Amino acid sequence: MKLGMLTEDLEGYDALSDKEKEEFDSYALKEAAALGVAESLTQWFDENPQGFTKDEKDHITIWNSGLSWSTDLFVSAALRGIGYHVKTMPVPDQESLRNGKEFGNRGQCNPTYFTVGNLIKHLKGLEASGLSKEEIIKNHTFLTAGACGPCRFGTYVTEYRKALRDSGFEGFRVVLFQQQGGLKQATGDEQGLELNPTFFRSLIKAFLAGDVVNLMAYRIRPYEVVPGSTNAALEQSRELVIQALEESKSVLLAMARCRRIFEAVEVNRLQPKPMVSVIGEFWAMTTEGDGNYHLQRFLEQEGAEVAIQPLVNWVLFILWEQIRDTQRRMELREDDVARKGLSGKEPWKKIAMLRAARVALVGLFKLFANTIGLRGYHLPNMDEIASLAHEHYDNELRGGEGHMEVGKLIDSVEENRAHMVISVKPFGCMPSSGVSDGVQSLISAKYPKAIFLAIETSGDGEVNVQSRVQMMMFKAHQRAQAEFEEAMETTGLDLEQAEEKLSRSWRARRTIHYPPHKLAGTAANQLLELA
Amino acid sequence: MTRLQVGIDVGSTTVKAVVVDPETREILWKDYQRHETRQPEMVLDFLVRIGAAFPEASREDLAIYMTGSGSSPLCEPVGARFVQEVNAVTIAVENLHPDVQSVVELGGQDAKIIIFNTNEETGERTAFTSMNDKCASGTGATIDKCMLKVGMAPEEVQKILFDPSKLHHVAAKCGVFAETDIVNLVKSGIPAPEIMNSLADAIVHQNLSVLTRGNTLKSKVLLLGGPNCYLPFLQDCWRLRIPETWSERGYEYDKDVDIADLIIIPEDSQYYAAYGGVLFGIADVSNTEDVCYRGLDALKEYMTSGRAERLAASAGKPLVKTEDELAEFIDEYTIPKFIQPDIPAGTVVRGVVGLDGGSTSSKAVLMDEEGTILRKAYRLSKGNPIQDTKEILAELKQMVADEGAELDVIGFGATGYAAAVLEESVKADVNIVETIAHMQSARSVYPDVDVVCDIGGQDIKVLFMEHGDIKDFKLSNQCSAGNGMLLQAMADQFGVPIVDYADVAFGAPLSPKFSYGCAVFLDSDRVNFQKEGYSKEELLAGLALVLPKNVWQYVVGVPRMAEFGTKFVLQGGTQKNLAAVKAQVDYIKERVPDAEVLVHPHCGEAGAIGAARETLRVVKKRGHSTFIGLQQAIDLEYTTINDESTVCHFCPNECSRTFIDTITPDGSSSRYISGFSCEKGTVESKEALKVLHKEKKELRAQYPNLIEFETDLAFKHWYEPTPMPSAGTPMRDTEVKRGLLGRVKRRLISRGFERSSSADAAFRKSIKIGMPRVLNMYSTAPLWRTYFETLGLRKNNIIWSVESSEEMFTEGGKYGSVDPCYPSKVVQAHIHDLIFEKHEGRRTGPLNYIFFPGLTHVPTWVSHVMDSASCPIVAGTPKVIKAAFTKEVDFFARAGIEYIDTACILTERHLFNDQMWNDWGERLRVTRDEHDHAIKEAWKALEGWEQTVQDRGREVIEDLEATGRLGVLVIGRPYHQDPGLHHGIPDELQALGYPILSMRSIPKDAKWLAKYMQDEVDSGLIDDVFDLRDVWPENYSSNSVQKVWAARFAARHPNVVVLDLSSFKCGHDAPSYGLVDEIMKGGRTPRLIMHDIDANKPGGSIVIRTKTFAYSLELEAEKLEQQRERFAQLKARLQERMQQMQSASTAPPNLDGRGRLHVIPQQEMSP
Repeated sequence: MKLGMLTEDLEGYDALSDKEKEEFDSYALKEAAALGVAESLTQWFDENPQGFTKDEKDHITIWNSGLSWSTDLFVSAALRGIGYHVKTMPVPDQESLRNGKEFGNRGQCNPTYFTVGNLIKHLKGLEASGLSKEEIIKNHTFLTAGACGPCRFGTYVTEYRKALRDSGFEGFRVVLFQQQGGLKQATGDEQGLELNPTFFRSLIKAFLAGDVVNLMAYRIRPYEVVPGSTNAALEQSRELVIQALEESKSVLLAMARCRRIFEAVEVNRLQPKPMVSVIGEFWAMTTEGDGNYHLQRFLEQEGAEVAIQPLVNWVLFILWEQIRDTQRRMELREDDVARKGLSGKEPWKKIAMLRAARVALVGLFKLFANTIGLRGYHLPNMDEIASLAHEHYDNELRGGEGHMEVGKLIDSVEENRAHMVISVKPFGCMPSSGVSDGVQSLISAKYPKAIFLAIETSGDGEVNVQSRVQMMMFKAHQRAQAEFEEAMETTGLDLEQAEEKLSRSWRARRTIHYPPHKLAGTAANQLLELA
Repeated sequence: MTRLQVGIDVGSTTVKAVVVDPETREILWKDYQRHETRQPEMVLDFLVRIGAAFPEASREDLAIYMTGSGSSPLCEPVGARFVQEVNAVTIAVENLHPDVQSVVELGGQDAKIIIFNTNEETGERTAFTSMNDKCASGTGATIDKCMLKVGMAPEEVQKILFDPSKLHHVAAKCGVFAETDIVNLVKSGIPAPEIMNSLADAIVHQNLSVLTRGNTLKSKVLLLGGPNCYLPFLQDCWRLRIPETWSERGYEYDKDVDIADLIIIPEDSQYYAAYGGVLFGIADVSNTEDVCYRGLDALKEYMTSGRAERLAASAGKPLVKTEDELAEFIDEYTIPKFIQPDIPAGTVVRGVVGLDGGSTSSKAVLMDEEGTILRKAYRLSKGNPIQDTKEILAELKQMVADEGAELDVIGFGATGYAAAVLEESVKADVNIVETIAHMQSARSVYPDVDVVCDIGGQDIKVLFMEHGDIKDFKLSNQCSAGNGMLLQAMADQFGVPIVDYADVAFGAPLSPKFSYGCAVFLDSDRVNFQKEGYSKEELLAGLALVLPKNVWQYVVGVPRMAEFGTKFVLQGGTQKNLAAVKAQVDYIKERVPDAEVLVHPHCGEAGAIGAARETLRVVKKRGHSTFIGLQQAIDLEYTTINDESTVCHFCPNECSRTFIDTITPDGSSSRYISGFSCEKGTVESKEALKVLHKEKKELRAQYPNLIEFETDLAFKHWYEPTPMPSAGTPMRDTEVKRGLLGRVKRRLISRGFERSSSADAAFRKSIKIGMPRVLNMYSTAPLWRTYFETLGLRKNNIIWSVESSEEMFTEGGKYGSVDPCYPSKVVQAHIHDLIFEKHEGRRTGPLNYIFFPGLTHVPTWVSHVMDSASCPIVAGTPKVIKAAFTKEVDFFARAGIEYIDTACILTERHLFNDQMWNDWGERLRVTRDEHDHAIKEAWKALEGWEQTVQDRGREVIEDLEATGRLGVLVIGRPYHQDPGLHHGIPDELQALGYPILSMRSIPKDAKWLAKYMQDEVDSGLIDDVFDLRDVWPENYSSNSVQKVWAARFAARHPNVVVLDLSSFKCGHDAPSYGLVDEIMKGGRTPRLIMHDIDANKPGGSIVIRTKTFAYSLELEAEKLEQQRERFAQLKARLQERMQQMQSASTAPPNLDGRGRLHVIPQQEMSP
C-alpha cells in the first residue's frame, strides 16, 4: 500500500494551511520511516537514449551493418558522402550469435541474435582496443532500420537496448529510421542525423548500387574461367563505387567503370549449372556469412548459379504495401482513425507520391543496371506476385516478406525461372517458418515438378542443412543437365558446335552478355540463343 | 580388371561399407562397425581391410563413393566422390524395390522420408524427400537413451511385442521431452515393455505428423535404418499406424494382402546408403574416371597433421591453461572425503532419514537429532521409487548394524520425484519441494549465501537469496538441458566412465564452442564437431564449458550476474565432476570478479540433507512422527496396476492412471494414484467425485478464478442483441461511387432500412457455423457469436470446438506441415474436431461453414501504441490450416463444408465491416443494412463482455485490498485461458487459496487505476495510465503490450502477484521477457514464471514451481500483514496528530491541497 493512498483520505488534510501541511507531511514521513513503511520502491523505466545532436555530429561515429557486404559498405560510403562519420561493422558471425544469445532475451529469432549480438561483439571489440565504455557511449552510435510490426523486426531496437544494458553499454544510442516512415522523420535543427530526403536518396543510391554490383558478381562467378577472378573484379568495383559515393561523385560513372572491370573476367557459359533461386526471410537470404551458413557461397561450390533477391525488391514491396493499403481504404464508406485509416489524410496525394517514387526507383535501378552491364534483369511486378499469392497467403497478412515468399515461389515455378528454389527460414522466424512454410508445402504439392527446399538456419546444425541442400542439388543438377541436353536436341547443336559458334559471336561471348530467359539454366539459354 | 566400386557410409554412430562388382552389381564384400566417434580411423581401418580382401586390386582399381553425415570432410583425403545420403538411399531403393512408393528411414540422428510420385501425364517418377531438421526427435538416439532409462538390455528390447492396448503418453516432439515422460512413467512403475511401446507409438506418430509434411505414405512402404530393422515392436507399430492414416485419408490399398507385404523390412538395409552410393557411381559413367582413390597416406596425413591448425581458428579456450592452474584448482575444489562419525557398538542411534528420490538416482542421509550427518547412501534408480526407498533404507540400517549398533528412525522425510508417493505409502513426515530442501541445505552450511545453484540429473535450480530466504528462483524448464544427464550421456558415448570425465577433459588443449540450450541440439553440434576432427577430450571439455552458459544464460537469463550477490554455492551431484565445477567457477568469476564460489561439501546429497533437516524440525514441533517405521518400510509390499481397471472414466479423455497399492507388514494399506491429467483422476468413485466437485465449488466461491469466469462467458450466449429494425425504418447511409480515373466519391443519403426476404431469414435459421476455440478467439469470441446471432442464426447453431487437450491433439494433430508454437499447431486438432466430431455429431452437425478469421489486428486498451497487431503466426494460421487440410485431400470439400478465413483488421471498424460483408453478405443472404446492424451489435457484445469481466475484477481486487490477501494475476496471451494450454497451473494456485485474476479483469478505469499508476503520469513520463511508452516504445504487438501493461499494474499493486505464462517458441513474448523482468524487479513482485509451456503438461515442473512459489507467497503474505499492521499504526498516529493540529488551528480550509504524500526512497529519509 502506498503512503499516498493513506493520507489521501485523511479527513481534515485539505483544510490545513500550506505551512501546516508541510509540518504534517514532515511528521508523517518521520513516523512512516520510524515504522519502516515508507516505500523505497523505484519502479523501472527505460531511459531509451536516442539520437544525437548537431553539436555532436563531428565527433560521433555511426556504425552500420545488417545487409549484404557490398550494400553495407556502400551505405557507409554514401552517408560519409553527405557529411557523417560512418563505418561498417563486419558481417555477423558465430561470435555475434553467441553474444546475442548471452545478452538478448531467450527464445528470440536468429536474425535478432546475430544482429544484436554483432553490435555487442563490436562494442566489446572497441573496448578491447583501448576505448573506455564512456568514450564508446559518448562518441559512437549505431544506425538501423525499424518497423512497427507485426514480426519481431520492429522490436529489434528494444532488444538492442536490453543487450546494451546487460552488457554494460547502457546509454549507447541506437539511431532508428522507420522503413515505412517516409522521407521525413526526425528532422529539425537539433538533430545530428537528419532523416531527410537527402539521407534517403543516399540510402537508395547505395542500395541500388549494392544490388547491381552483387547481381553482376552472382551472374558471372559460376562461369568464370579463372577461379577467383570475379571476386577480384567485385573488390575493385566496390572500391570504385565507395569512392564515388564518398566523394559525392557520379555513381553512374563508377558503374560504367565497374562494367569494364567485370568485362575483363573470362567466362564459359556453356556449362550447365542448376539455377538456384534463394528466397525466404529477408535477413537470412541477404546475409553472406554464418547467419545462413554462407549459403550463397556453398551453393556456388556445389555447382549452382545463385539467383539472389536484390534489396530493390524489398523497397518495391514496401511501396506496394502502402499503395495497396491506401487504395483498399479509399473504397470504404467512412474513414477509420487507426494507423492505416485515412481519417484526416490525403490518400490521393499519398498514392501519387508513392507511384512517383516507384517509377523513380525502378528507373534508377534500370539505369544503374544498364550502365554496369546487368542486361535483361527482371524486376518482379509486385502486383502480380501479390495476386499469385493471395489465395494461399492473404495480402493482408504482413510481417517479414509477407506473401512474397509464397508469391515468388509460384512465380519462379510458373515462369520457369529456376531449377530449384531454396527458402531460407531463420530459426524462430514467425512469418517465414510459422506461416510461409506451411503454405509453401501446399504450393510444392501443387507443383510436384518443382524442386523446392525450405531450410531452417539456427546458427548450429550446419552439417544437416548443407546435407539437405546437397540432397536437393543432386536433383537440380540432373534437371539442369537434362534441360541442357534437351536444348542441344532442340537446337541440333552439340557442345563443340556451340563453342565454335560462340567463339565467332563477339556479342554472345562478352562477359556482361546474358542470354535471354527462356529456360531456367543459363547454359541452355545460351544454346538457344546461339541457334 | 574392371574397377571395383566401393561405397562407404559414415553415419553418426557407425561406418558401413560395400564393395560391388560393377558388372553384376553384386555385393562382394560388406561390413559395418560402430566408429565411437573415430570416423577417420574407422574409415582407414575399412580401407585396409578392403585392401586385404582384394589383394590383386591396385589403387587405380578402386572407385570410392562416400555418403553419410560424417563423410564429406573425408572425401578429399580418400579421393572419393561424395553422394548425399538421402539420394544414395533413393537410388538404392529405386533399383532394389521398383514397386516401393514410400520409404521411412530412422537413423541415429536422422529421420528421412522418401515418397515416390508418378506424374500422371508424363509417367515420370519423382522422389519427394524430407529429412528432420537438426531436432533429432523421433530418431534412434531417442530410443537408445530411453532404453537406458527403462533399464532394458538391447537383446530384451528386441523381444518386446507391440501392444496398442497398453500405451501411455510420451511426447516424441522432442527427445528431451520424451525422456522426461519416460522418467515419469518409470517412476510410476509402468512396466518397461509398455514404456518402450509407448515410445515407439509416439515416434511413429511424430514422424507421420511432422516429417511427412502432410503427405500420405503410400504402399508399399519400406522401413529402413537400425531401429526399424532391429525392433519388431517398432515395425508392428508402423504396420498398425500407417494403415490407419490410409483409412483416414481415403487412400485405397489392397486389404487382402498381408500387411507385412505392404510395409516391408528388407534384409541388409543398413547397407542401402553405401550401396546407393555405388549405384550412383555406376550410373554416372561420365565422371567415374575423376574418382581417384588416393591410397591410405593422404587419409593418415589428414588424421595426424594439420588438425590443430584447421581447428585453431574456430576453437575455444581449454578448461585449464597450465598445470599450475589445474593443481591450484584441484587443491581448492576437491570435495573433502566424508568421514563418517563413529557409531559406538551396542548403542541405539536415534535420527531421521532424509531421502531425495531424484530422476536418475536416490540419495539418503541419516541425521542425528543435532543435525549431524551420520551416514549417506546412494543408489542408481531401478525404476520404482518404493523399491528404491526400501533398498536404500535397508542399506542405511545395515550400515548402522555393521557398527554393531541399532537404528531408531524417529522421522522420515522425502523430496524429489518420489516424495509424493512416499508421503502416501510410508507416511513420510515431510514431503518437501526440492527447491526448499536445497535452500535449507545450503543455508545450513553457508548461512549468508546469495545464490544456490543446484545441477541435478535432470533439472537445474537456481535460487536467489535475500536475508536468508528465497527472494526469487529460476528452474530449468523441461526443454533446457545443461544438466548432469547430458554430461553423463556424452561421456557414455565416448566410453569414458563419468568419474574420469574431468581428468579427460582437463587434458584437452582446446575446445569446440558448443551453442547452449537444447540437449538435442548439443548432440547435433557434437556430430558436427566430430566431423571437423575434434577429439573426445576436446568435446568433453567443450561440453563442460557450455554448462554454465546453459545455467546462467539459458535458465537464469540475466546477464548482469553481479546483481545477485557474491556468494555462490554449487550443489547437486554434477559438482562431483570437477570439469563442470571449473567451468562454472571461471564463468562466474569472469563476470563477478569478487565472487566467492563454493561447492557444498555434500553436494550430491544436498536435497536429502534439506529433507532431513525439515523432518527434524517438523517432528520436533509435532512431537511425533507419522512414518510407518524403518522395518515396516523395508518390508513394505506393493503392487502397481496400470490397466483398463485403472483408467479414469470421469471425462472423455480417459486418462490411463497407475495405482500403487502398498501393504505394510501390520496389514494397513494405502493407495497412491498417478498419471491423471486433472483432479478428477485423484478419485475412484462417483461419490468421491461428487465430494470433490462440492469442494471445488466452495473453493471457487472463496477464491474466484476469473480466467474461468471470463472464458465461460466469452463462448456462450448471454448477450441479447437489439432487434433488427423493420424494413423501411428511416436511416442515413454513405454512398460510395467510383468516379473518373478510379476516384472515389462519397455522398450522405437518407433512405429506409432494407431487410432480406423471409425465405432468406428462414434459410439463415438452418445455417450452422463451426468456429475453432483457439488463439485470439479467446479475446474476440462474443463478437463473432453475436454477429451471427443478430443475423438470425440460432444460438445453438454456432458451434465451438472443444477446449484443447493432449488427447484431442493426439487425435487430430496429424495434418500439420509446420512446427511453430503449440497454440497455433493445436488449431489443426480443433479443425479436426469440427469436421469429424461436430460436423458428424447428431446435435451439432452438419456444419455449413467453418469460420476461422485471420485476425491481423485486435483492439487494445493500451494507449499511444505504434500499432495493435496480432502476431504473424496467429494471423496466418487460418491460411496454414487451409493448406494443411486441402493439400492431398480437401477435407472441407469432402465433408461438404466451406472454410472461410476472412482476414480481419479489428482496429479499423469500417474496414472490418467491409471485410466481413465481402465474405458473408451473399453467403448468409443478408442486406448490407442487416449486416451493418449485426456488426454494431457484435461490437456492443464484445464491449459488454469486457465490462462484465472488469466489474467482477474490481470486486475481487478491492476485496483483496480490504482483507490484505494476495491474488494471482495471470499474464499471458488470450489463448492461455485454454486449460489445454495453461495446463491447469492457475487452478493449482487457486487450490492453494489465491484468487485468480485475468488481465481483462483489471478495471480499465483511469480514475480507479490512478492510485497505483499516477506517479509516472505526474512525472511526465507517460500521458495517461494506459500509456506504456516509458517502458516500451516499440509497442505494436497488441497481446504482448497488454501483457507488459498488466505486469506493470501488478508491480504497483501490493496485493497482486503474477503468474507469467508463455508458450514455447513464442516470438512476440520473447522481446518482452526482459521488460517484464525489469518491471517485476522494480515492483519486487513475486512472480511464477512458466515459460516455454508446450503440448505436454509438465506435471513435475508445475508442482515444483507452484510449491516453491507458494512458499515465497507465504513470506510475502507475512510481509504484507506486517505492513498492514504498521500502516494501521501509522494511520492512528496521523489521525491523532491531525486532531491535535485541528484543535490548535484556526486556519481557513485550503481547498487546493491534494493531500497526497509522495513516495520517496527510504534512504533519503534516514538521518
